[in-house]
Amino acid sequence: MRRPLRDYRPVHVVGIGLHRFQPLSETTYVELGLTAIREAMADAGIAFSAIDSAYCGTALLGMAPSRAMLRHLGASGLPITQVENASASGSTAVRQAVLEVASGMADVSLAIGLDKPAPIRLAHEAAGVPDLVNAYASPFTHFALLADDYMRRYGVTAEQVARVAEKNFRNASKNPHAHRQKGYSLAEILSGPNISGPLTRLQCCPIGEGAAAVIVASDDAIARLGLSRARSVRVLSSTSRSERVYDPGADPDTELTRETLAMSCAEAGVSPGDLDVVEFHDGFSIEELLYVEALGVCPPGQAAGQLARGDFDIGGRVAINPSGGLLAMGHPIGPTGVGQICEIARQLRGEAGPRQHPGARLGLAHMVGIGSVCVVHILSAAD
Amino acid sequence: MAGLFLEGEPNPALRGQECEGCGRVAFPPNPYGCEKCGAPAAMLVDRPLAGRGRIVAFVTTTHANRRDLSVPYTVASIALDDGPVIRAIMTDSTGESLAAGDAVETVLVERAADEGSTDRVLRFQKREAA
Ligand SMILES: [Zn+2]
Repeated sequence: MRRPLRDYRPVHVVGIGLHRFQPLSETTYVELGLTAIREAMADAGIAFSAIDSAYCGTALLGMAPSRAMLRHLGASGLPITQVENASASGSTAVRQAVLEVASGMADVSLAIGLDKPAPIRLAHEAAGVPDLVNAYASPFTHFALLADDYMRRYGVTAEQVARVAEKNFRNASKNPHAHRQKGYSLAEILSGPNISGPLTRLQCCPIGEGAAAVIVASDDAIARLGLSRARSVRVLSSTSRSERVYDPGADPDTELTRETLAMSCAEAGVSPGDLDVVEFHDGFSIEELLYVEALGVCPPGQAAGQLARGDFDIGGRVAINPSGGLLAMGHPIGPTGVGQICEIARQLRGEAGPRQHPGARLGLAHMVGIGSVCVVHILSAAD
Repeated sequence: MAGLFLEGEPNPALRGQECEGCGRVAFPPNPYGCEKCGAPAAMLVDRPLAGRGRIVAFVTTTHANRRDLSVPYTVASIALDDGPVIRAIMTDSTGESLAAGDAVETVLVERAADEGSTDRVLRFQKREAA
């Protein structure tokens, strides 16, 4: 019988680390990754030799990047696996680490997200199933069409959609790990350059480089290694889905997100309304509005209005993308989903400093990968 | 693009497929199997779809992220009269003449191809009122 994560032994996030998400630089991927991993080990108070396995989420680095990096931490012989799942590569690396600890096959596992910008080669372009638009339907054109449809359906303006970016830039202006730390104004966001339909450049996520690391551990490991229980964050659910066939005209990403969020909440035993902090895949501003509604914390067509009155601000009803999200924290591909877990853990520990959402106890991280796949994790603060 | 449409009057039809297993009508066609029920390709029969529909949404893209795309171009979501909702490129590259709800139809357009030759590609255009 299929059993959800909470039927296995408990898994906790015990260490988090980041290298800033930033534009392409001369820094090697090894340096990026080691910075994040060493920070996560120091955060947990754990030595590399105590880590039983490692999963590296990366989509662009090429074959076999991990040992060339991890050997500089003392080659312990641990099993290492690269995980490629498009934009959800990092989230999937976290999921694999969580599952391995939950199953008991590892006591401590490391998930890394790592990438540097490189030409993207999409396998599905060679699938032998061309359509009428092919490359013309790039992600920004795809999401601009969804924005156009949403705006018409609910009478929402381009300015209201752009307010997603305004909020997320405001959050990232307090995040030293963010790619875009300048708190752009609504006027700056709307002034262009235009990319597609209502989407301006600042409503499209920047793809740069960076790294993120998360260490997960069992209760046994926390006791045996003397780790802080108060700073550990419990992983309540780990849910992964891929696209099905939906009704004609329905957006597959939104429908896939809707069912994956619902499944993850059910598996965690939580109600969407109980969530305090959420990190969504806001690759484009419109996505955040679609996914807030898909989560069920806001009726269809009302996300823009609730955003404008501050419901989704830090300190609001539920803080959406307190890190700045993909739009402002950035989207270096592999690191993005791992970085979301870092942000949620930081918020649930009460260690997010100037961007702390007061009283955060329950958090959710969501990524979509082209294709499409969707990965959701729900985490809770220590009792 | 040649395998995606059937030439005909007054305008080209789209080469859709219907699944003999579950009845799903889909576009574009594929040589592998049904996305809904998993029936093999042998159970996917040709089902021409009239090249007519209405615009659900449309956007003009002004930024090209690859060199083989010239901007601006306009892509629309189109609800075909025969059911499926598809995406297509409009002849009006700036989208200035278009509105949501417009009736549209297929048209073949000559396009410069490699080595001085031309090929014909399928676009949608606004249908003139009869
Ligand atoms: Zn079928």
